[in-house]
Amino acid sequence: MNNVDLSKPTRQSVKGLLIIFIQSIRQGIRMFWALIAVVVLQKNILDNKYLIGIVLLIILALLIVHTILYYLNFYFYVEGGEFILKKGYLHKKILTIPIERIQSVNTKQNLLQQFLDVLTLEIDTAGTVAKELKIHALEKQYADRLNELLSKGKTENFSKDSEETEEFSKKNEQQVMALSPSDLFKIGISQNHIRAGLIIIAFGMQIFNQIQDLFREKADEYSGEFVNFLSGSSLVLIIFLIIFFLLVSILFSLFRTMFKYFDFKLLKSEQALRVQSGLINKRNVLMPYNKIQELNWETGPIKQIFGIYSLVFKQAVSGQNRRNQLVDAPGCLENHLELLKTDLFGEEILNKSPRIFSDKYYLRRLWLIYGWLPSLALTPFFYAEWIFWVAAPVWLILTAIYAILILRKRYFRINNNQVRISKGAIVHKWKQMELYKIQSVKFRQTIFQKRRALASLQLTNAAGSMTIPYINELVAKKIYDYLLFHAETSEKSWM
Amino acid sequence: MENFNNSIVLPENLPAVEKKTFTRLEKKYLQVILARIVIFFLIFSGAFIVYILFSNELPPRIFLVIAGVVIFLFYAYTFLINIIGFRRKGYLVRENDISYQTGIITYRVTTVPFNRIQHVEVNQGVLAKLLKLATIKIFTAGGNASDLSVPGLPVDIANNLKSFLAEKISEHE
Repeated sequence: MNNVDLSKPTRQSVKGLLIIFIQSIRQGIRMFWALIAVVVLQKNILDNKYLIGIVLLIILALLIVHTILYYLNFYFYVEGGEFILKKGYLHKKILTIPIERIQSVNTKQNLLQQFLDVLTLEIDTAGTVAKELKIHALEKQYADRLNELLSKGKTENFSKDSEETEEFSKKNEQQVMALSPSDLFKIGISQNHIRAGLIIIAFGMQIFNQIQDLFREKADEYSGEFVNFLSGSSLVLIIFLIIFFLLVSILFSLFRTMFKYFDFKLLKSEQALRVQSGLINKRNVLMPYNKIQELNWETGPIKQIFGIYSLVFKQAVSGQNRRNQLVDAPGCLENHLELLKTDLFGEEILNKSPRIFSDKYYLRRLWLIYGWLPSLALTPFFYAEWIFWVAAPVWLILTAIYAILILRKRYFRINNNQVRISKGAIVHKWKQMELYKIQSVKFRQTIFQKRRALASLQLTNAAGSMTIPYINELVAKKIYDYLLFHAETSEKSWM
Repeated sequence: MENFNNSIVLPENLPAVEKKTFTRLEKKYLQVILARIVIFFLIFSGAFIVYILFSNELPPRIFLVIAGVVIFLFYAYTFLINIIGFRRKGYLVRENDISYQTGIITYRVTTVPFNRIQHVEVNQGVLAKLLKLATIKIFTAGGNASDLSVPGLPVDIANNLKSFLAEKISEHE
């Protein structure tokens, strides 16, 4: 137990000066990169070394002054159940966050920070101020102490009738799971390589385009050659290219997984889950159970061989897209998943409720949209190229199979506390949430659905929404009313 | 209620959101909707005409005729659908929640419980202002997907509703 006083206004670690300095340089470059590029490219300016030196010196001096002022005016403390952060010297800013509104506390460490033994602390609320609540050079002790306080605050707030509010400390944390390098290897291999491949191809295209812009004329020659080369070469080469891309993307996902989830650990205490991972950028996220809105998990064909599931804990989002900040576990075994589900949702009873599948009409609609409409839209080409006469039926068959796969996995289970939906075509995905976390309910029915007494439902919680398409109209209405009844009578804190 | 399947039959006594109980929007609001479509149409067809006048090489005439007919049909359809569908638009305020329904081809109804509302806003566009109409916007924590807005309310009703909702929100805090 360290004796850091949280109520006393504290500045960042002195080592933070260096980090602020580097960040300001980075920011400056990001803002003025166009200007810098122009200056560098214009050679006659660079010739005047004297001038350059003075300008650089002035910039450096300004940056140092900025860094020191920024450092001196940046402090934070806890007062009256609120976390307060003051910053800015020209334009002063005070950020106040009630501790009970805090969604999660994340810490990150990049290489430099690891070297200096400081870390970045991010406080997540569902509001938009969260983005600014970042402290880039915090000493580890302070972060630990803050984490402690937050977990304790939670305990006091949300279990009024509990026996005893236990001191939070890392000692009574329990490890739920850890991933060894060999686990990560398996996970890396079983990633969605087609997606990774597409990212690489898109990335490559972008670079290619940029190069083309720069050396337009030459690139034309080269790409012309390339096209000639491709069209002149045999099928073998194309197959070779595909294999090459596949290998690259496998390596790519392997390295990405290795770096991002190195030394991955998921720990649980009484009130919260903690995730830590990372090789170069270390991250550490503390997340109270009751702030988790939804648990998502999925498995794909390759993952199934290894018995691996990947999961995501979804928390309240604040307007802007924050996919990067989602807390996820890239891979875990079925028993880990079951354990986590029990922790989050209590004993597994949903499996007793029957699966309710989407109606077969859903399949017809999917096939119509993905299969028939594109095929029919392309009919003008049927006159031009014979290949379309072959492609269209093949496409129809493929989309039919796809639609069947979707329908097979599209079901949900509901009981009086929870709902779980299942979906996916090749990858099987599940989402589970507690009913009282509902934010709004939407009922949708087209005139075509009405004729068959079908309807779709959309259930929204603070983290996102889940859809239940094409189910019996009456069931949909009953669920609609029941969910509202649940949300309106629930006294539990949903966030 | 051990199992929801039982309760599918059971919650007969749960209040249902019934289509017919909804309050329709102010009739004047239809003018706003139609005016918006006309303005959009003018801008769009204006762009189309400018393109035809200034492009050096006209596409074949048949193509232009087809495009014109398609655009016309599209607008005729939008106009009709909006006029017919206007009767369907409506809102319903109950003891614990507020709902909004819309759509003649695709019927949609969204309900937000009062205890999930984050804040409420009353907005007035230029067109609506001329007709003394306002839109009430209800924000929840769920982001855009769960937000609800009720347009075409008389200004005083919108304001009343807003203060009513504000009171309800403070009850739940």
